[in-house]
Amino acid sequence: MSTAMNFSSKTFTPRPPDKGAFPLDHFGECSAFKEQFMECLRHSGYESAACRQRAMAYLECRMDRRVAQLMANEPLEKLGFKDLIKEKSDEKPDKS
Amino acid sequence: VVPGETALAFYKAKNPTDKPIIGISTYNVIPFEAGQYFNKIQCFCFEEQRLNPQEEVDMPVFFYIDPDFVEDPKMAKVDLITLSYTFFEAKEGQKLPLPGY
Repeated sequence: MSTAMNFSSKTFTPRPPDKGAFPLDHFGECSAFKEQFMECLRHSGYESAACRQRAMAYLECRMDRRVAQLMANEPLEKLGFKDLIKEKSDEKPDKS
Repeated sequence: VVPGETALAFYKAKNPTDKPIIGISTYNVIPFEAGQYFNKIQCFCFEEQRLNPQEEVDMPVFFYIDPDFVEDPKMAKVDLITLSYTFFEAKEGQKLPLPGY
């Protein structure tokens, strides 16, 4: 790599992901969740914030897979879904 | 997306050949200066992935834009950040030099 004095260097340095790589979902086990998420995005004009519930559902699907772990189990609050979890637990008593 | 909020995006890859392919991908962020604010929590990149003949898979990326993005005056005019991936075929026994990894 060039010296630190090279401020005009335009080379991009890729960084690896914080939690590593997603194994490929070869059997499409979570494709249904992905489709629901994509449908939500299309309807909301691609507003990511509007579809966080479905994004969370997709990641939960990945974590739930017993056959092939598609994602390491991680508490959803740590993945930026803290506010949605709280909503879920508030909702539960009303569901009959 | 809102800086600081985690977001999910999907890419799709297909192996149109009749042989399995082992690939590895790397990414690029445009504009260049926005790259430092782009944080990947988890993605399909940096590791070899195998695609069987004719296989098509969804490739997810779970990320967020660093909230400091809104404080940076250089980013004031940036309202579009483009993330692109390039897949390379992994050659047997070859170690890809990944800067900073």
